[in-house]
Amino acid sequence: MNSEPDHAALAAGRQVGVAGAETLPPFQARMARDLAGRFLPPVLAVASVIAIWWSLYLIYPRLLPGPMNTLQEALRLVRDGTFFFHMYQSLRRVFVGAVVAMFFSVGVGIYMGTVAMGERFFQPLVVLGLTIPGLMWALIAVMLFGINEFSPYFAVTVTIFPMLVINIWAGVKSLDKELIDMSHVFHFTKWMKISQVILPQLVPNIFAATRYGLGLAWKVVVVVEMFGTSNGVGYQVMKSYQVFNMEGVIAWTITFVVAMIIIEYGLINFAERRLTAWRPRVEVWRR
Amino acid sequence: MAELLVKDAEKWFPREDGRPFKIIDRLSFAAREGCVTVLIGPSGCGKSTLLNSVVGLENLDRGELIFINRGKPEKRPLIGYVFQSPRLLPWKTVGENISLALQGAGVPRSQWQSRVTRYLNLVGLQEYANQFPLYLSGGQRQRVGLARALVIESDIVLMDEPFASVDELTARQLRQTTRRLCEQLHRTVVFVTHNLAEAAYMGDYVVTLTPRPARLDAYVPNPLPSPHHWGADIYKFAAELENKVTLKEDTEI
Repeated sequence: MNSEPDHAALAAGRQVGVAGAETLPPFQARMARDLAGRFLPPVLAVASVIAIWWSLYLIYPRLLPGPMNTLQEALRLVRDGTFFFHMYQSLRRVFVGAVVAMFFSVGVGIYMGTVAMGERFFQPLVVLGLTIPGLMWALIAVMLFGINEFSPYFAVTVTIFPMLVINIWAGVKSLDKELIDMSHVFHFTKWMKISQVILPQLVPNIFAATRYGLGLAWKVVVVVEMFGTSNGVGYQVMKSYQVFNMEGVIAWTITFVVAMIIIEYGLINFAERRLTAWRPRVEVWRR
Repeated sequence: MAELLVKDAEKWFPREDGRPFKIIDRLSFAAREGCVTVLIGPSGCGKSTLLNSVVGLENLDRGELIFINRGKPEKRPLIGYVFQSPRLLPWKTVGENISLALQGAGVPRSQWQSRVTRYLNLVGLQEYANQFPLYLSGGQRQRVGLARALVIESDIVLMDEPFASVDELTARQLRQTTRRLCEQLHRTVVFVTHNLAEAAYMGDYVVTLTPRPARLDAYVPNPLPSPHHWGADIYKFAAELENKVTLKEDTEI
């Protein structure tokens, strides 16, 4: 059997078969396979959760609200604008707290990773901060500052600050020394070293820290809102709980989760893709 | 342009057990203005340590590095460095990597574009200015490293085994490009290698070093006329160099 490819056909750009080799599937088939590979697993994951919920509702209809009733409640919240108002309040608190924590943690993390004295000074404080639960900070914030906007900002900032610092500190410790030396040889200023050499290497650590930090910040904000504010998702969940409105509690939880997913996929993933566009895609499990 | 004099240089490193060992021992030589001076010696004899001392990444324990900068005697000369691995910032395009060297050297922003284009042309990468380094081959990345060292119009260019990590055919092309640019731009170059034929081709002067600790073994002017051509003459000179290189390590130190 002749196993030589048809060179003339290859040169003409036609798809050719070679004995013993697979031909490429048509473009549409590959596209469909890629789309299925990308979207099917998350859809299946969500569908399985709904299926379990539905089954439990059928078994305990008095205890759990049905998925359809809850969906209707969620749609009502969206339609009458309640969702947008309260979600905006919670989002604002999360983002202000997270941005303030990020700002200080990048500075402290770089300082700890590059100056031995800074590491010795901040390490015990960071470890101490990690051991204090976010709920404690929420309580302390409301007791210290009362029912006002500063309480959630403070609680979010101090709760996520230590874990952001830990991530950034770890990233600084694994910086590429050769690139740092290069920046020294070519007389980069301190600011050039930080902005062009150090921070881009910390991008994966900063994104990991942001994801983790935002997840935690949400929880803290909800807790503070439950007893320390008069608006926000946490306040609404508490209000529904007080009148034993299970549909309301779950509807707020779902809308809250949907908002988180939009932030994760629409904002964080997008920003990460943009900032790591320089990196060729790595396929570990080739087919 | 500038000249570099290395005078009685000594460098010690600590061993794992804490006792120091000498890596460079009373080394003296001159890298002449506008010439390529090749340092050749076995691996680990302190060649890279010496270059790192010239740019301030290491400090000599004794001896002096004297820069004679005739054009601007009051200023420390500008030094470009071609590393063994290209050390490009992977998140910056080729053009941006070269521009950063210009920014570090204090070149006005208005000149960046024209200089980047000129030096990318010289190394044959004019079409790659907007490409990220990870999408280039090893040889192309090394060319970008070369362009970055030259673009700042440095008085002295240090090259630390710049072609050691590429295949022989690519290395040969890179040597030709580098040698041509050295002749064309008249830069003072200190070129480190452990490849005798490369030393014979690249150098106007060849400094052979002893195995650790590095001492001056021989200072050999290249008898071949410029421009150098890769061929039998190069191998003949390489064989002469081989006879001058001391291969036995001094175990007394």
